[in-house]
Amino acid sequence: MSPNGQATLNRDIIVDGLWRNNPVFRQVLGICSTLAVTNVVLNTVVMCVSLTFVMALSCVTVSLLRNITPRNIRMMVQTLIIAFYVIIVDLILKAYWPDMSRNLGPYVGLIITNCIIMGRCEAFAGSNKPAASFVDGLFNGLGYSFLLLTISVFRELLGMGTILGMEMPYFSTLWDKWIIMVMPPGAFFALACVIWVCRSFKTKEQG
Amino acid sequence: MKNKPWFAVVYMFVVTAFFSSIVIGFAAFTKDRVEANKQIAFERSVLEVFDLAKGVAAGNIHSVFVEKIKEPDEKSGGAYLYVEDGETKGYAVPISGKGFWAPIKGIIGVSADKKTVTGISFYEQNETPGLGAEIEQLDFRSQFEGKLLGEGDEVFGIVPLGTELADNQVNAISGATQTCTRLELIINENISMWRQQIAGEEVEK
Repeated sequence: MSPNGQATLNRDIIVDGLWRNNPVFRQVLGICSTLAVTNVVLNTVVMCVSLTFVMALSCVTVSLLRNITPRNIRMMVQTLIIAFYVIIVDLILKAYWPDMSRNLGPYVGLIITNCIIMGRCEAFAGSNKPAASFVDGLFNGLGYSFLLLTISVFRELLGMGTILGMEMPYFSTLWDKWIIMVMPPGAFFALACVIWVCRSFKTKEQG
Repeated sequence: MKNKPWFAVVYMFVVTAFFSSIVIGFAAFTKDRVEANKQIAFERSVLEVFDLAKGVAAGNIHSVFVEKIKEPDEKSGGAYLYVEDGETKGYAVPISGKGFWAPIKGIIGVSADKKTVTGISFYEQNETPGLGAEIEQLDFRSQFEGKLLGEGDEVFGIVPLGTELADNQVNAISGATQTCTRLELIINENISMWRQQIAGEEVEK
């Protein structure tokens, strides 16, 4: 995709979001939430669903308004739109899934400051058509999600011997639990290893 | 028109008003549910400390609460009363204070003789998931059952794993030192205050 032209709705957007230009291990954005919510798989799942939802819809909205939004206040408008969707997600969780709302605590509100969303709104949705923006937001969200899920599965398994709270054979009994994996420092080790592994796969273009 | 300075101001105003009104509308729509969820979380906590909440569905919590629990009266020092057949079986003492990230609010159940802990439960906390938030888990909470409240300043202790436990001590959660230290303080302060209130009320009579 050229920076000035309109990207067409095609496989490139999907592959970029999921892998070639993955927000976490390529752009290294949204690291704060990656480190914070990945110690338990269930929390990660809800965080990923919320973020993907917010991102896809924010991108569409930013894209719809792109031609009438004055350039000098576009950041304010983007933040407003993102905050709007985040508050909706927060209210839905509070009203219909109070337990999860308690688990995630402040992290839901912090989606507003997740730089991936702002980055996609600014880099893509601001200059592309709504449909393409939706797909871009959605697949960047999924790209973020699959990386976070990978990290959280390892962290919960090694740190607590469970996955989604279910005890795993061997890990919950014989395995000497690495408490550090569920603590904040473990997030850094896990993230670094995952970025390392993902970046070591070279795509065709990079040869 | 788009490049006029006033357009940016008007545009921002209109966009803000539009999205805010949707949020306000949605918040008003879910308000009752959010409030009800908070109330149920509180009532469940009170029931849990007397082991009355097992297997009770969320929809029935309120009716069980109304049936078994009495509002604080002049003699209970702010504690809810667990009454069965007209006899007070225990006190549910609300505790609250500063956690590591945000306030921790919960209930401690104390037996009718005001000496033994029957249980502990939390209805509001924002500790680190997987670490401090483990105070909500049964593994941690079940330790409190049957413990005695100490006299004087050392009402209750949360001590590191491997320490020999006294009658008024439980094991802390590894990796959640801050949460446990603060929780210990919360329990001590609130129980001391409750005792003073009861004593004060008895003296007044």
